[in-house]
Amino acid sequence: MRAATLHAIGQRGALSALTLALLSMVVFAGGQVLPGDVGRSILGPLADARAVAVLNHQLGTDAPPLLMYARWVGHLLRGDMGMSYAYRSPVAPFILHALGKSLALAGMTLAIVIPLSIGAGVWAALHHGRWQDRLVSLGGLSLTVVPEFVSGILLVLVFGVWLRVLPTSANTRAGAGMWQEARHLILPALPLVLVLFGYISRIARAGMVDALEADYTRTAMLKGLPRRMVIWRHVLRNALLPTITVIAAQTSYLLGGLVVVETLFRYQGIGSLILTAARGKDYPMLEAGILTVGTAYILSAVLADVLVGLLDPRSQAGAR
Amino acid sequence: MTSQARHLVGELRAGRLGRRAFLQHAARIGLLTAAPVPAAARGRPGATIRVASNVPAGAIEPLTVSEIGGLAMLCQTGEFLVVAGSDLVLRPSLAVSWQPNADSSVWTFRLRPSVRFHGGQAFDAACVVATMDRLSDPKQGSNALSVLRGVLSPGGTKRIDDLTVRFELDAPNGNFPFYVSSDNYNAIILPADYAGDFETNFNGTGPFRLERYTAKVGANFVRNEAYWGLPALPARTEFSFFGDQQPQVLALEDDQVDVIVQIAVQGAQGLLRDPDVRIIDIPAATHRQMHLRCDDGPLADKRVRQAIALSLDRPGLVHGLFQGRAELGNDSPFAPIYPSTDRSVPQRARDIPRARALMQAAGYPNGFETTLTTERSQEIPLLAVLVQNACAQIGVRVALTIEDIAAYYGTAQPGRSDWLDSPMGITDYGHRGVPNVTLAAPYLSGGAWNAAHFRNATYDRLVASFNAATELPAQRALAGDIERLLLDETPVIIPYFYDYLCATGPTVTGVAVSGISQIFLQDAALS
Repeated sequence: MRAATLHAIGQRGALSALTLALLSMVVFAGGQVLPGDVGRSILGPLADARAVAVLNHQLGTDAPPLLMYARWVGHLLRGDMGMSYAYRSPVAPFILHALGKSLALAGMTLAIVIPLSIGAGVWAALHHGRWQDRLVSLGGLSLTVVPEFVSGILLVLVFGVWLRVLPTSANTRAGAGMWQEARHLILPALPLVLVLFGYISRIARAGMVDALEADYTRTAMLKGLPRRMVIWRHVLRNALLPTITVIAAQTSYLLGGLVVVETLFRYQGIGSLILTAARGKDYPMLEAGILTVGTAYILSAVLADVLVGLLDPRSQAGAR
Repeated sequence: MTSQARHLVGELRAGRLGRRAFLQHAARIGLLTAAPVPAAARGRPGATIRVASNVPAGAIEPLTVSEIGGLAMLCQTGEFLVVAGSDLVLRPSLAVSWQPNADSSVWTFRLRPSVRFHGGQAFDAACVVATMDRLSDPKQGSNALSVLRGVLSPGGTKRIDDLTVRFELDAPNGNFPFYVSSDNYNAIILPADYAGDFETNFNGTGPFRLERYTAKVGANFVRNEAYWGLPALPARTEFSFFGDQQPQVLALEDDQVDVIVQIAVQGAQGLLRDPDVRIIDIPAATHRQMHLRCDDGPLADKRVRQAIALSLDRPGLVHGLFQGRAELGNDSPFAPIYPSTDRSVPQRARDIPRARALMQAAGYPNGFETTLTTERSQEIPLLAVLVQNACAQIGVRVALTIEDIAAYYGTAQPGRSDWLDSPMGITDYGHRGVPNVTLAAPYLSGGAWNAAHFRNATYDRLVASFNAATELPAQRALAGDIERLLLDETPVIIPYFYDYLCATGPTVTGVAVSGISQIFLQDAALS
């Protein structure tokens, strides 16, 4: 049993490493077909061609692409993410800082959206076919289709500019406490909550409806168990399995796909870092950013698998 | 008094020169230096001024900075020999006076004594020589090379004594002081032994010193108590970097910042209408050039190019795209703000019947199809659509290709750049205190930015003469010839020159900005 587990972990690790390697190759190859070059993106489109050539040489970006990629991989294998072309300084501090920021925003968003959307999904399923169900389904769907930049600006205007109850910037002054930091994250998190709420609540609702109609639920009811106990012990446990997988799948979006929200709230997350690096052809920064998000995605998928394994009665039975 | 100075005074006395134009030209040839602002006219000292600025796109390296976030940083601690004001009057800074020789091929600058860098080094002629050699050396990768090419070469800057430098130019240039002024934004003076580490210390001579700089986040500066001039009014300034205009607007409305370095009309209409927001509106030479390929297809016929230019409703563009905060362009780089511009040249206006007649005469009574390629930047895509609509009225069916900036410029070499290869294109050109740079590369035969593929020996000769002229009447006469030639040939359509806009809160005073996104806060205060 232990050997099988180790084998599975090893297989998963090897697949993850292969995925990341392929990802880095795709990103690098994609970058090569983009127009323009690094020197010109730094010096501006109207820069003198001689100056551009000199800068490209200084940065090493006039080398053949394969050599550039090999150099970058060599550095990475030694634990060095490389030097940013645009900022002429090591990439790692930028990535770590941005990752920390993105994790904080993702954490705040999940802390709000998970209980809210699961609660709403369960409530809708328990009132299947009635107005409560329609309210959650249609309301969630309507919120999901509103783009973040629209909901974000509206929320800023209402809560930040008119009511003045929440700060409009995600950034705090140096030395701010944890509560202050969290308060500044509420407004940036809300547009993301609106986007995710409809999706997660609908998955939770669907899982719950299926579980409520399942044979084991009917059996539990017929055995005379109280409804509350049936829902907590039998229904929820099964109903939430797909929801957990969906939440895990949203992690990469919450870490790397928040460019609009990060821009609107002046938040230095990893999404805008990656976008800026792509625009400036800053390959070391771009590669490091995407691999970081990819790693986070893989880790969240593993975490979701573990959670599903713990919650799924069938895997528990298999283990026994 | 030199002959140039005597001539200038004579022009003023004869009434051929306005007061403002007199000041601009007198300062350019070093005839006068602006008086410092009286202390009583300044605001209350000690404020903290919070500024919203664009994120610098890369390292703050004076040699390479090219975008507005970076140049707003350079001028916080760095200083130039000369400052070009928003009124285009040159004011002494690290240079106290300057003088050309008879044909303006050699310029001598006297430097300010007793100035020290924040790092303790003395400022002297060696610093100027090292800085200008670095900027003009093709081996250094300097962004200023595109400005200094053909004007100043490495070794052209000579130390005469500790406080005197002489610039021996590649060719006579009557506007040379602008090339070492804040108008050439890379030209902040650095210590002679500068080692490429500006971002670590922002070591300049300016009225503020760096307290902290965090890439992509912001920068704080404090007053330089050892400054050579009047001490800065603010005790500190705090710059916050933003990736977009909308959050800057929201931050000003929410009182999180006092100043936005630059706003564009699109997206800031609310601010422009807000009575609690002060808008600093500076006429500038910032413009769009719509090139028309002179060497290929129907556009090779100048009557077709003239017809397209005549189809545009320029007042409509100024009103629709800029709410009137722009001046009409007359298809030459001579912006209305330049004193050398010949205003007697008639303004081109929309004339559809004449445009159709020109199309008929050129052999295109039913028009033709072409493509307009441009960059996705600010109002340019909207302008492209408006041009497309205007062209449709004379039968020219324009397909639009709107690209990312990198895709549009490509490698900026013919054959590998949509900008330089397209039959029609729209390109953005920033503000300059004098038209020399924009007269050269986009129009000269073989010019590096000549997207119109325009070749005209008369034009090349006129521009060389304009560059060499130091006296305003001579410059204006040559400008008139150039303007008329470009109206006739129409290799490029310049529909407007738009204003530079900066927004501040209602209590902020003393903020100075330039048309190239520099912000000077030494006189800023909160009332």
